[in-house]
Amino acid sequence: MVTTEAEARAAQPILQLRAIEKVFDQFAAVDRITLDIQEGEFFTIVGPSGSGKTTMVRMLVGMDKPTRGDILLRGQRINDVPANKRPTCMVFQSLALFPHRTVGQNIEFPLKIRGVDPAARKKRALELLAQLRLPDHYYGKAVTQCSGGERQRVALARALAFDPEILFFDEPLSALDYKLRKVLEKELKDIHRQTGKTFVYITHSLEEAMVMSDRIGVMNRGRFVQVGTPNEIYGSPTTRFVSEFMGEVNILDVTVGPDGTATDDVTGARYLVPPSAGAGPCSLVIRPESLRFVDGPSQAHNVVTGTVYNEYLLGSRVQYQIRVGEKQVLLLENLRDQRYEGDLDSPVTVGWDTGDSMIFPKGPLQ
Amino acid sequence: MAQATGIVTITAATTARAAPEPSGWRAWLRQAGVLTALPMALLMLAGFVAPLLLVVAFAFMPPQSFSILQPPTLANFQEIFANSFYRSFLASLYLAAATTLICMVVCYPVAYAMVRVFGRVAGVLALLITAPLFVADNLRLVGWMLFLVKGGVLSGALQAWFGIATDSMLYTVSATLFGLVYTYLPFMLFPMIMGIAMVPLEMREAAFDLGATRWQVLKEVDIPLAMPGILIGALMTFILAAGALSEPRILGGSSVVMIAQDIQNEFTFAQNWPKGSALSVLMILVAGVLAVTLLRRIDLDGIFGRR
Amino acid sequence: MNEIGRPARWLYGMLIALVLLFVYLPMMTLVMASFSRSKFFKFPIPQFATNWYADVFASLSIRSFFWTSLVIALLVATIATVLAFFGALAFARYRWAGRKLYQKVLLLPILFPQAVLGLALLLWFSAIGVTPSWQAAVFAHLVWIAPITTLVIAIQVYSFDPAMEEAAVDLGATRWQTLKEVTLPILTPGIVSGFLSAFLLSWANFPLSMFSTGADQTIPEWISAKIQSGYTPQVPAVGTLTMLAAVIVMALGGFAAWLHARRRAGLA
Repeated sequence: MVTTEAEARAAQPILQLRAIEKVFDQFAAVDRITLDIQEGEFFTIVGPSGSGKTTMVRMLVGMDKPTRGDILLRGQRINDVPANKRPTCMVFQSLALFPHRTVGQNIEFPLKIRGVDPAARKKRALELLAQLRLPDHYYGKAVTQCSGGERQRVALARALAFDPEILFFDEPLSALDYKLRKVLEKELKDIHRQTGKTFVYITHSLEEAMVMSDRIGVMNRGRFVQVGTPNEIYGSPTTRFVSEFMGEVNILDVTVGPDGTATDDVTGARYLVPPSAGAGPCSLVIRPESLRFVDGPSQAHNVVTGTVYNEYLLGSRVQYQIRVGEKQVLLLENLRDQRYEGDLDSPVTVGWDTGDSMIFPKGPLQ
Repeated sequence: MAQATGIVTITAATTARAAPEPSGWRAWLRQAGVLTALPMALLMLAGFVAPLLLVVAFAFMPPQSFSILQPPTLANFQEIFANSFYRSFLASLYLAAATTLICMVVCYPVAYAMVRVFGRVAGVLALLITAPLFVADNLRLVGWMLFLVKGGVLSGALQAWFGIATDSMLYTVSATLFGLVYTYLPFMLFPMIMGIAMVPLEMREAAFDLGATRWQVLKEVDIPLAMPGILIGALMTFILAAGALSEPRILGGSSVVMIAQDIQNEFTFAQNWPKGSALSVLMILVAGVLAVTLLRRIDLDGIFGRR
Repeated sequence: MNEIGRPARWLYGMLIALVLLFVYLPMMTLVMASFSRSKFFKFPIPQFATNWYADVFASLSIRSFFWTSLVIALLVATIATVLAFFGALAFARYRWAGRKLYQKVLLLPILFPQAVLGLALLLWFSAIGVTPSWQAAVFAHLVWIAPITTLVIAIQVYSFDPAMEEAAVDLGATRWQTLKEVTLPILTPGIVSGFLSAFLLSWANFPLSMFSTGADQTIPEWISAKIQSGYTPQVPAVGTLTMLAAVIVMALGGFAAWLHARRRAGLA
């Protein structure tokens, strides 16, 4: 739904990147990226460490200047506008709350800088405390006395205080424990809805990106490997890199013959695969949840026999390690109520359907 | 083997637990921290606390006495204030305050540049600034004397190369102040460098991103967060400069008498220990009050440990 | 905002260069003066010579002051390092009731004018019947230098993860073995720099020596006496030699640090 709204406004993107590049000592940390971000969108940049995502956001905020290329805000080139003159704001990974200021003073900081009078400042700070569900008396509390989640909210309130047009987030949740992170992910998405502002979020966790984003851009080696809605990224990754990024997957080295079937490079087995761009060496990717235990070849497009080596309980799901021959290991994931009943080390047949597998030619861009 | 070691550890732990727990101050004394602190603590007691207490005791003894077993009196303090001996004390405070102010203004941009602009070579720069502390300060002041004296490097060069005749630049109050600034500059610079290095880069960036100008970043973030370092530097410079001995003597001639010179005279030539002690007490009071006020507000773990 | 403009960089560079010049100018003047032939210093120097060095090397008294300074500095450095090693553990490593107070008390001698401290010690020595001598000077130096050495080593201790000691104990090491096999080797760089700075600070100390050595004399005391009784170019010559000695000690320290870094990196 949010996507359609964003599409409706696609005529005028709020932020446009035109072939921006950042070079450090001849190494392109961000390599000619072109991207449009729509007004009101929650856009997440996902990538492993060193993929260039932090470099990129630093340029968008105005902390660094691109070596080449242009950044446009509502059609205006802003390359040379420093961070303190841009109507955008960032929530830092460390949050960068000022330890010598109280919660209230932190939130009021951007307003004080802009010469807003104390009464109006305080009013706005209290408003933001309420919006972020922090009690009023936190106004005078020392930031050093706040818990992780509270600090997170204070940082967000401070960023929202001067009503910036775009909010950037540089992995602000990465230092928190799993449970709190899950709560705050949802809270952040709610705040996004409440404020209707454009959010640009950076994370190394595709899982986190999935929860919150309207669109996701997966970055690797300074470039976007794929940009799309969470559904597209999960359902139809365009490269092996993206397919691997979501979590554990089975990757088989195969060779696709002229007849369109694939031969396993390790076991020599033949598989039916989805139609791919070319023949030759490819990676066949199957998610663990696409694999299932079967009784015989008739129950799935492709079957393999092996032995169950171990079982791992993952809460609502359960995972199995299947050994095929000497060298191949496959992961199979089931719901907990579909647990495997047999003994460890006993022979099993597992299978998957062609439509549940993905095939990517091997090449330099994986 | 690994198993055997494990058993040994367990046995040791059990025995330790089985031993009767000592109580009160004996338990406190057995802590690793107390044990390791003990030698230094004893040195401080015997070499710093005791001598200063003795000085305080002597300050209340009758003039010219050499024992602390006489009835206490305020005679020494009365004499100091009656015969304007306090002038050297005031001069010391004035010169120390001026030194601190000058060093602060000079050192902040230098420390900032060393940490933020030339951070890559900060180690080398810091070493270059420390190295002079390993040369006796009176020797370095002799160097300045040769530089500034009439016919010395400065006036000689001006005369020979530019034909400008200058008088001696020594033996004035300004020369003393110059010497103080020179000697105590590193004592201001170092803590300042530590203080500025303590300010996380992200704090400055966040302030900047929230709309602060460079000046506002300096005022709102840089200086308040570097304050522990700045305060320690200021305190050290002030106290050390107030107790300076060589600077007024070598560069100042007899243009100004500072308190350390007066104390020395009483203790040595005049052999009036109680009066020397009373003058020292003034110094101890200033140093003590400043040091205690400041150290109460500062977390040393944060400064030395970067935590 | 981290990208500092070229003109600003240049300006800051000039500022640092100026401060360094200010700091080193008197020392350069001394070195120059030591090579002047005439008895009275005059600039530009009419004639260069090394006659004052010959005088210095021939002087038996200067030689004995040199030895006194050296013995004091070596003893101070050794004792200060041992005290400071434990003192630094108490300062930075262990958590104990009284630590905050201990940390602050340790700073007080550093935050106290040395001349006044020297005079207080003079009084103290005579009160407890100690005759001022070079041994008394060692004690006086320690009061000021051992706390500094403690801070130098403490900085290293802060970056030391206590879990490493716990791991050693867990692997079966006794307290003493842990100290010898884990704590000491990891703290070595701090200990070495603590020792060197203690040596150099004692070597260069004047105010404390002045009131504690009594009949014995150190090089800085000799310099002070010469200034009082009238300038002789032996002063810059001796000064240049003491500076040279300090440079050699620092270079040795630098070399040790370089070797240590190489060994850590697995190159040696």
